[in-house]
Amino acid sequence: MAPSVQFPGNIFFYLILVSGLVFFAYTFYVRVILLLVGKPDWRFDRLWERTVSFVPLVLAIWRVIRPRYWYSGILHLAIFWGFLTFQVNTINFFLEGFHENAAILSWAEGVYTAYFPLMQLFEVLVLVGVVMAVARRQIVKPPRLSLNWDAYLILGFIALLMVTDLFATGFSIAIHPFPDHGRAFISNAIAEGVEGTDIEVLKAWHTTFWYLHLLTFMGFLIWVPYSKHLHVFTAAPNVFLRRLQPTGVLQPIPDLETQEVFGVGRIQDFTWRQLLDGYTCTECGRCQEACPAYNTEKELSPKEIAHQMRQQLLVNASDLLPIPVLNINVTGERGVPLTEAMGFDPIWDCLTCGACQYECPVFVEHIQEIIDVRRYFVMDEARMPETAQATLMQLEQRGHPWRGTPLGRTSWIEEMGDVPMFDGSQEYLFWVGCTGALSERNVLTTKAIARLLNQAGVSYGVLGAEETCCGDPARRLGNEYLFMLQAQQNIELFNTKGVKKIITSCPHGFNAFKNEYPQFDGHFEVIHHADLFARLVKEGRLKPQETLAQKITYHDSCYLGRHNNLYEAPRHILASLPGTHPVEMPRSRAQSFCCGAGGGHMWMEESKGKRVNNERTEEATATGAEIVATACPLCLQMFEDGIGAVPEAAEREMKVYDVAELLDMAVSPAPAVAEEAKADASQDQAAESSE
Amino acid sequence: MHIICCVKQVPDPETPASQFKVDEATKKVLPVPGIDPVADEYAILGVEAALRIREALGEAKITVLCLGPEAARDAVKKALAMGADEGIQLTDGAFEGGDSYATARALAAAIKKLEPFDLVLCGRQAPDWDVGVTPSIIADVLGLPCVTRASEVKVSDGTLQVERVLLDGFETVETSLPAVVSVSNELGEPRYPQLREIMAAAKKPVAVWSAADLGVDASQVGAAGSLLSLDRLYVPVHEAKCEFIEAETPEEAAETLATTLREAKLI
Repeated sequence: MAPSVQFPGNIFFYLILVSGLVFFAYTFYVRVILLLVGKPDWRFDRLWERTVSFVPLVLAIWRVIRPRYWYSGILHLAIFWGFLTFQVNTINFFLEGFHENAAILSWAEGVYTAYFPLMQLFEVLVLVGVVMAVARRQIVKPPRLSLNWDAYLILGFIALLMVTDLFATGFSIAIHPFPDHGRAFISNAIAEGVEGTDIEVLKAWHTTFWYLHLLTFMGFLIWVPYSKHLHVFTAAPNVFLRRLQPTGVLQPIPDLETQEVFGVGRIQDFTWRQLLDGYTCTECGRCQEACPAYNTEKELSPKEIAHQMRQQLLVNASDLLPIPVLNINVTGERGVPLTEAMGFDPIWDCLTCGACQYECPVFVEHIQEIIDVRRYFVMDEARMPETAQATLMQLEQRGHPWRGTPLGRTSWIEEMGDVPMFDGSQEYLFWVGCTGALSERNVLTTKAIARLLNQAGVSYGVLGAEETCCGDPARRLGNEYLFMLQAQQNIELFNTKGVKKIITSCPHGFNAFKNEYPQFDGHFEVIHHADLFARLVKEGRLKPQETLAQKITYHDSCYLGRHNNLYEAPRHILASLPGTHPVEMPRSRAQSFCCGAGGGHMWMEESKGKRVNNERTEEATATGAEIVATACPLCLQMFEDGIGAVPEAAEREMKVYDVAELLDMAVSPAPAVAEEAKADASQDQAAESSE
Repeated sequence: MHIICCVKQVPDPETPASQFKVDEATKKVLPVPGIDPVADEYAILGVEAALRIREALGEAKITVLCLGPEAARDAVKKALAMGADEGIQLTDGAFEGGDSYATARALAAAIKKLEPFDLVLCGRQAPDWDVGVTPSIIADVLGLPCVTRASEVKVSDGTLQVERVLLDGFETVETSLPAVVSVSNELGEPRYPQLREIMAAAKKPVAVWSAADLGVDASQVGAAGSLLSLDRLYVPVHEAKCEFIEAETPEEAAETLATTLREAKLI
């Protein structure tokens, strides 16, 4: 019994339906062809894996309902599942609009009425979700959210959709009860409430709610593509078409030599899938809340990166497409260079730690997008912070980032002796890394690793003076060309030497060799020393005996943990040390907070806001730990600095060690102590020579 | 406008002291494994100065001139990547082992061959021998005015204005062209080349000239043409001792420190 089957109702129905659909189709078409101005990006590999993971990631919205965000998780579940359940009703509604007999209620009455209780329950849940959302925006006001009228409009549409349906069904029951109408328990209650009212009045109410429902639905459909709630359409494909590689991987530029533009300098230089990120970002701000740069008063907000992509794409749409484009709710500035819209400082503030990508419920890929713009700054415009430029020049000229180091690549080997050179006969190449060889503090770790390898009888060798940079800093600083050269050079060296397995002590080299060298046809088995030593302890080849009796907290390196999923091995090592009490920082494992050294920032000046390493050192200090353990030479450096700068850490004489150093102390205490003494002596010397 | 920039490849001045070794018998600096030679940064600043002049004038041809072995090509490439137009490399056994005088004579012959030119830019001193007289000798051989230690180089109306660094300040001088100018670090930072330029540099021509090409007698250049002879080459030994003063109170420590310093006749 729809009011649209007779004149003049049918005119209104078809007018609203057709004009609404046409409008929607136009907008949707513009959105789709706008995506296609982007560069190609193949995301249709491993379809089975994508399909299987669709269930938890999209249908169960796992990433939305993480415990930390339980409130928004619950309200999202209510609205999302309510909406899905409700769509049966929408189909019924439109079929009924065409003809009474077309409605599901007419030809599958039993099935449909059996579905009613569930549907009505979910309609209530949607309303509960909406109320929760409004309350959050009105009362809690989390700083991560962009509080604007767009959200209220959408919430209004959603609530109105539910209310109009409940009432339209209610009045329909009051006029013409269908069998088992009691199953639509809420609408039935409404019907009971209006019992005895004049039939014409009931019909008028029914018509009003019916058309209100129609208008709300079409309004919602038309508005969604213009609002940040476009994610209701794009989240599912965005998640399905996410990159399946570890988040630490940056993509190469194919045919680099023949590119017209290096990196992303214009919005159309992004790939279509990156542009889809712009559409999909709902501005929930979880990325921003986790971002170490944002949280230490830098200018970067990862949310703003995705937001700007969308704004820049839409505001410049008329210039990119041959058809007229209607722009509503677009705040970007038309015709400004993309680099300006994104901002120089925000792009350079990124530590590539991946906290944003871990938090993002819809798999926005911030890091690649930021680095793409950095690439443009560096390779196309040669515009970068002074210290980034100095680092890149240093890398080009000397093959390592440690300008002014008093050490050579082989200094530690000369001091230590008993270090085999790799000649192809050994099982492993121990890649020492720039920091491991050239920073005085980190040399202690390197020696500990070598001692442990010797002790456990691991077959290994080092490259000595033939080692150079792995390329990670160059790539993260946006010089893809330099990275490519360094990667190719190393791959050639490894292949010539017969390298098959590599032990790295630096997670950055680990990530580069393991995940990025395959892009240049370098395939090696790569293991981080923490992983290897955890295994050797388990096998009994290394026996920690000496009691350290210390409270230790482990700091997860981004490139080992979040980017490469290695959380347990270093913790196993710590747990194996007699007498230690491991404690966790509030932000640990996948939610670890960067030390501040990632993305090339180890060698860049940090002049704005609070220093990231101080923030992290304070967090470590608050656990009451006497020792911070790391498994990354850069984190180690950052904590050394942080402990000196955070008064409480300095007063307590908190220490930072690599897990290998701690294991070494427990396994073979004598040389470790000797090393300590030597280090003190060399520090004295250094202090004296600087006097 | 034709500008010639003289660049030099030198052992990395940032070679860690612990790694730096010389062979006292042959009186030669030993190459350090894993540490490659680099372009002299002062000379690269000369290229930067030339590029700034070109930007100010709108056009200028910049030729890079480098005396050194085949491997010195990297220094030439670096200058070409920054934006210089072409490179000339003076590579010949006859040029080897020359002092500032012999080297300047070879460079002057090449500069003469590159005529017409308006300006020769050099670094103020290369960090290998740190002598810093080659630019002046080039000017002397060519009979041109010479301005050393420039912090700013400008060309207008066919004359050259140079701000130069003094021990206690700056002075600005003006001279006619052609001239020889040596550039100091006060000029600023050299530019970071755009990738496009780096790739274009690979296609820019680099000619290699020998002593015969320059028409100079082998006895006039290299070790044979040198006026200086090296007596002894060695790494000086620095000895340092550190003593910590320990005391109950800061006052006591200060007193002990003062006494110790007085005993050492330092105060």
